[in-house]
Amino acid sequence: MFEQIPIISIIILLPLMGAVVTFLLGKYGSYAKYVALAFSAAALVLSLLLVFDYQLDPDPTATGYHEGNGWFDYQFYESYTWIESLGITYIVGLDGISLPLFVLTTLLSTLSILFSWDTKTRPKAYFGLMLILEVGVLGVFTTLDYFVFYVFWEVVLIPMYFMIGIWGGPNKDYAAIKFFIYTHVASLALLVGIMAMYFQVYVETGATSFAMEDVWRAGHTDFARTFQIAIFGATFFGFGVKLPMVPFHTWLPDAHVEAPTAGSVLLAGLLLKMGGYGIIRISIPTLPEGAEALQLLMAAIALASILYGALVCLAQRDLKKMVAYSSISHMGFVLLGYATLTSVGATAGVFQMFAHGLVTAVLFMMCGVVQHHCGTRIIQSLGGLTKKMPTASAMMTMGFLASLGLPGLVSFAAEFMVLASMFSTWGLWLFLPILSVAITAAYYLWALQRSMFGPLTTKIDTSKVHDISWYEGVPVAVLLVLIAIFGVFPAVIFDYINPAVDIALRLFGGG
Amino acid sequence: MDIWNEVGWLLPQLILILFVLLLPAMDYLFRNDKRPLAWITLVPLLTLSALVVSWLFFGEGSFAASKVPYMQVDAFSGLFMLVFLVVGIVVVLSSPEFIKKDKNQGEYYALILLAITGMTVVAEAVDLIALFVGLEIAGISSFALAGFRKSEKRSSEAATKYFIIGGFSSALTLFSISLFYGVAGTTNIAAIAGELAAPSAWITESQPMLLLALVLLIAGLGFKIAMVPFHMWAPDVYEGAPTPISGLLAAASKKMGFAALFRVFLIGVLAVKTDWEVVIGAMAIITMTVGNLIAVSQTNIKRMLAYSSVAQAGYIMIALPVGTEYALAGGMFHILTHAFMKSGAFMVVAAMGVVMIGEKLDDFKGLNKRSPFLAFAMTIFLLSLAGIPPLAGFASKFVLFSSAVYTSLDPGPSWLIWLAIAGVLNSALSLYYYARVIKYMYMDKGPEETVKVPPMTAAAIVFALAMVFIIGLFPDQFVSVCQDAAGAFPGLPFGGPE
Repeated sequence: MFEQIPIISIIILLPLMGAVVTFLLGKYGSYAKYVALAFSAAALVLSLLLVFDYQLDPDPTATGYHEGNGWFDYQFYESYTWIESLGITYIVGLDGISLPLFVLTTLLSTLSILFSWDTKTRPKAYFGLMLILEVGVLGVFTTLDYFVFYVFWEVVLIPMYFMIGIWGGPNKDYAAIKFFIYTHVASLALLVGIMAMYFQVYVETGATSFAMEDVWRAGHTDFARTFQIAIFGATFFGFGVKLPMVPFHTWLPDAHVEAPTAGSVLLAGLLLKMGGYGIIRISIPTLPEGAEALQLLMAAIALASILYGALVCLAQRDLKKMVAYSSISHMGFVLLGYATLTSVGATAGVFQMFAHGLVTAVLFMMCGVVQHHCGTRIIQSLGGLTKKMPTASAMMTMGFLASLGLPGLVSFAAEFMVLASMFSTWGLWLFLPILSVAITAAYYLWALQRSMFGPLTTKIDTSKVHDISWYEGVPVAVLLVLIAIFGVFPAVIFDYINPAVDIALRLFGGG
Repeated sequence: MDIWNEVGWLLPQLILILFVLLLPAMDYLFRNDKRPLAWITLVPLLTLSALVVSWLFFGEGSFAASKVPYMQVDAFSGLFMLVFLVVGIVVVLSSPEFIKKDKNQGEYYALILLAITGMTVVAEAVDLIALFVGLEIAGISSFALAGFRKSEKRSSEAATKYFIIGGFSSALTLFSISLFYGVAGTTNIAAIAGELAAPSAWITESQPMLLLALVLLIAGLGFKIAMVPFHMWAPDVYEGAPTPISGLLAAASKKMGFAALFRVFLIGVLAVKTDWEVVIGAMAIITMTVGNLIAVSQTNIKRMLAYSSVAQAGYIMIALPVGTEYALAGGMFHILTHAFMKSGAFMVVAAMGVVMIGEKLDDFKGLNKRSPFLAFAMTIFLLSLAGIPPLAGFASKFVLFSSAVYTSLDPGPSWLIWLAIAGVLNSALSLYYYARVIKYMYMDKGPEETVKVPPMTAAAIVFALAMVFIIGLFPDQFVSVCQDAAGAFPGLPFGGPE
């Protein structure tokens, strides 16, 4: 259906056009949300159509299909020379790794815009920035040129900085600048890695090119082992801070606590995935020897993130901060999956990103609902909310259950597979991540019990507390349905991810 | 038309001089509304820049070759001329509103044209004496411009400082030229290069004198480009001078210093590169670092931009020790982009000055509410200065820094790569103080009343803004023009990709 048109570029451009329209609304600023919703919904619809057009078993002769002897396998491939003298090409394409994240981006962006329906402060800027954020994330997930990748990567930083800094909570200045500095320093490490590969390719082949394809070809055959280890370290640091990994995670709780709800949803749902995506798209396939050498470091960091994130959750008083720390723990599973360097593990890692994107969006939205209706998120001040907001409580319960890995919901499939691959690689060291499963159940259930069940709290005025609003309920409901569907039929997504992961890991014997 | 054969190559300067002479007289024609003076000033600037663009970018109608041995018209001088002309356009466009209450406007525009004339002479000079004459023409006009508001204390102070420092640097340069003459027996740059490449017994003997000449020249021209430690004057002068003139000084006058440095160091004394490359390399790193570090603590926007342009000079200096054609192209490319982004930033400040908003950083608070256009333009200029893709400053920094990397890749590892590393780290550092202004404009609250931007100033800003985007998005053509310009220098290794 989409063979003849540059569909990916169109989907990336839609929110950008929406942002321009939004900024130009002038005194009609109150219509910004309609514009933003229209453009992001259009992108969502197109991306869904694109999923149905994506061929699991592609015809190599089809337009837009791009493969190179089993090294690459892209569909909807577009390539235009941008800056010839520097070897910069605008290339976009989708494969099984990026497709789920691509659709997750359009989905979460649309739902977040809907969720923010009652934003009254500077609505033009707010919705415009959300659309720009969507452009950046879509670009990161589709582009196949290191340079353009880096541009999109940086584009994401700016709207998020402003979202925290303008619409954030009381401590927003500190959180915004901390977010900016952490991610910017990480970006610099990434830039160093990219530039080093670019110049190394020039040394080896005499060609100047940022195209991932060219760097991969040179990387497999020509990059020396020490070079691979150094550059893997640099890019891994760049991506890992975004992931985030312990001990570079401290920006995340601050950013989340201060960010507006939709900002948190996008931050946890999409921005963290950029880090996880970068590792599997760039670090591991381009620098396989580096990945192999630093495999145990990856695993150790992953386990530290999983356990530390979970333990810290137990001590949280703020519901949102707890969810933020739980993200660190859950994203640790992504890294753990990668660290096994097996097909199953890495596939599960990518799937965990998708699952976490859905689940954590629900959790942050529910935190937003609680904050919105009760005026506080401090667990000790809440209690018995089931009586005042039954629908919201039910949704929150389901979100928590999904996040703690209840079988039949989406996270279970992902985390189970990560654990299985961990067992096949490192055997009984499995007890470490298993421990976290118990801790996770503990902090979620305990928080649920204290905030939702029991006698109605007297610490806050609950007389005006009412149930969830429609614009908050609809996005959460959509996400919960998806969580259930993919929990029961995880294979639907595995079929997309697995072949692409096999290609990324082909140098490790396919797992 | 024999006469045209003889002076045709001098046509740009002649046209400029003609208007320099006309403008003060025309001051009497426009008694009440002086704005037409600006339009008249634009005539030669626009005409000449159109000619240069068609010559350099489209290969149509090349300029006549020089008839005298001390000046040379080539792609290198053409590119610098273009930089001076476009900065002139931007400055003149934003001037009428800024100086509408001042006297002597005819002289103001005449002096701008005269300064630009001097700069073009420097760009074409291939003889140290001609170079000196050009430097003086531009310098003396700039002193007068800096002190244009003579009743204002800080304008006079700026002019006095600038004059004293400028006089000192001229003296150093002149002394250095005399030493060069003593060593090489000529003031022609190419001839000096020839003498140094095949040194006679006398030259070998007078090595100390040559070194002294080099040091004095670095110092003398170092003042012009505000190289650390000769940069002290720049912030004071930029702060005190009328804002459009600050833009002229930062974006054009400093670049004239680079035109001179490039000609002298990459042709004249290229043969003794080992004598000066480490010194200039170290100076480059010190200049960019000091400029950025001090910029962080500034509270006045013009001082901040002044220190940022000190840092930018440090980046451009990288081209000298690297000394390849690609590096020179990168240096000139950065000069070109810097002309747009720095003059653009100063013009935003000038536009705010017209409506009597101050020059403190705090005055930028909430600017987005008051004038979204100015806030957006300033954001783009600052991000471009920091080197954020896909803006112009990124593309030129990329070429410039990567030239240092290529040189340490191709013949083998060398210390030059540290120039690139220092440049990248400094760019990251500079983002801090640029981003702070952006934060003030968008995130902090300030006064509410809207700002009306005068249309001509707006035109100047839009022009600079458009160029920042165009160069950033489609740098290929500009890179190749800069490479052509660098190709005018004989004897440089290529040192780039391919």
